[in-house]
Amino acid sequence: MFRKVLVANRGEIAVRIIRALREFGISSVAVYSDADRASLAVRMADEAAHLGPAPSSESYLRIDKIIDAAKRHGAEAIHPGYGFLSENAEFAEACAAAGIVFIGPPPSAIRRMGSKTAARQVAIAAGAPVVPGTKEPLGEIEEAKRIAGEIGYPVLLKASAGGGGKGMRRVDREADLESALRDARSEALRAFRNDEVYVEKLVLEPRHIEIQVLGDHHGHMIHLGERECSIQRRHQKVIEECPSPVMLAHPELREKMGAAALKIARAAGYANAGTMEFLVDRDRNFYFLEMNTRLQVEHPVTELATSLDLVHWQLRIAAGEPLTIRQEDVQWRGSAIECRIYAEDPANNYLPSPGKITYLEQPSGPGIRLDSGVYQGWTVPLDYDPMLAKMAVWAPSREAAIERMRRALGEYVVEGIRTNIAWFDGILADECFRAGELSTAFLDRFKPPAAEAADLETEAVAVLIASLKEAKTPAPAPAKSSAWLAIGRAEMMR
Amino acid sequence: MKLEAKVDGSAAKFEVNGARLRYERNGQAVEREYSIAALAPGSYSVLIEGRSYSVISVEGAIRVNGRPFAVEIFDPRQMRGRGAGAFGEGRRSIASPMPGKVVRVLVSAGETVEAGQGLVVVEAMKMQNEMKSPKAGKVVEVKAKADATVQAGEVLVVIE
Repeated sequence: MFRKVLVANRGEIAVRIIRALREFGISSVAVYSDADRASLAVRMADEAAHLGPAPSSESYLRIDKIIDAAKRHGAEAIHPGYGFLSENAEFAEACAAAGIVFIGPPPSAIRRMGSKTAARQVAIAAGAPVVPGTKEPLGEIEEAKRIAGEIGYPVLLKASAGGGGKGMRRVDREADLESALRDARSEALRAFRNDEVYVEKLVLEPRHIEIQVLGDHHGHMIHLGERECSIQRRHQKVIEECPSPVMLAHPELREKMGAAALKIARAAGYANAGTMEFLVDRDRNFYFLEMNTRLQVEHPVTELATSLDLVHWQLRIAAGEPLTIRQEDVQWRGSAIECRIYAEDPANNYLPSPGKITYLEQPSGPGIRLDSGVYQGWTVPLDYDPMLAKMAVWAPSREAAIERMRRALGEYVVEGIRTNIAWFDGILADECFRAGELSTAFLDRFKPPAAEAADLETEAVAVLIASLKEAKTPAPAPAKSSAWLAIGRAEMMR
Repeated sequence: MKLEAKVDGSAAKFEVNGARLRYERNGQAVEREYSIAALAPGSYSVLIEGRSYSVISVEGAIRVNGRPFAVEIFDPRQMRGRGAGAFGEGRRSIASPMPGKVVRVLVSAGETVEAGQGLVVVEAMKMQNEMKSPKAGKVVEVKAKADATVQAGEVLVVIE
């Protein structure tokens, strides 16, 4: 096993990895930008190396500086976390060239699975289902009719150069295809100066379900089941769970999707931890979307449900140890849910809310796992992703896990900045969510419940505390000595 | 001690006398015995007839058992006539809604702008936010500078 490992990341994931290293008796080296000098990861690590100014391009994305820091500190391996350089094949190669172990897949597998179109080809060759469609620009209307007919309606026309919904048309029947194709082309031409349009099957209200795989460098690979990640806002996951409610009702789907994920991973020459993302339609057909060749943000729900530690295994596999778990050893127990805690203001169009955390109380008690990168007094920098922490819970059933999460969110207090902590309760209380009726469109339709009117006594308590500062100004004739006056005065002395 | 308050926009009256408090809003009133314990800066426990309330009060934001309240307190003894705001005829300041970095300044002083026209782009946490003009008019002043760091509430542009 390694004696010293550098963690090439920041925030909660750096803390998560440092914890795993400590559990293995491995020394940890954190890296930091100017904005992160006082970060929790730097405080927790055994050693820390400065990378440069706050912008990622001058710090956490600088391959040369990170390799240099690893050499100076004598680290034998680098864990990239997620984001930043974690899916950068050039970085993995630079590590190898410097004689440092990259804790992740081989660079060739990163390259193969890094591009969506290349990964789609690997999946097709491996016989795994992908969203039916072309990706080749459509020609004449007769050809378009033939292809759309083969795929089956409804279909989606998409601009080859596209993005942002421009040049996109839903077509429900052949009679509408010709005019839709004409509209999509002219819109694409105006938006992108390119009128090429391709067609793919429209997956209606899909679930986003992903499969975790884990393989060693000796040819053994297993899957650790699914994570349901359908609750997304602007393509950003906010709630994840394991098992997926659809797998609870149809356990055979886990076997099918797990087998498909393993076929793709083997075809890619994959090793270490990785994730295959799929769309799943209402009839439980599933389609491969893309692969994430790294540790996933939401890995804790898999760890809670399977009792396996993915970061421990990443370290052991990277050190050359064989994966000693057989597929039949993997068991799923109970239900795990995770909420991503962001520094953002749900009441104000989810605007980011960086700044100083002036007060912090964190949940604890049965079944709670909090992976946090912050502390009271920490200033959340405006230079990076707004995720502060991930709160995960485990309980014997999904219903109990939902109630446990609501309890834990109620214990979580962050002041000084805005967060989405209170926003989750409306989702967790929502009937469709509780029934497991999820899709990536869930949040588009979700309306947060109106806040209940507070009772008079609760309001009185708010005013009682708000008025303490009035007790500081010496009143000319205090009626009677009171706790209110005593506490107000005492606070003035602080 | 008698105070006047505004709670979530509604006027209220509050009185504390020894271990009793009285609170009145919209003609409804409660009168209760209370006890307070100050736990840590900004953190309090309040008991009212055996019911427990956990209160967090940091920089003017008050949360009782997790529920936020906007509370303003006025001491009637110190109340003075409050003048109208300093904003004159149709002058509007456009402020940054969040702390961040100015990415682009899209207008300059003297320029006429349409309602909804982009003025300044501010970025924080990988998200760009374009400040738009609330009305048609003339740019009087541009305080924002590209690459400068701004605080929430900091005025970026003044439109007339």
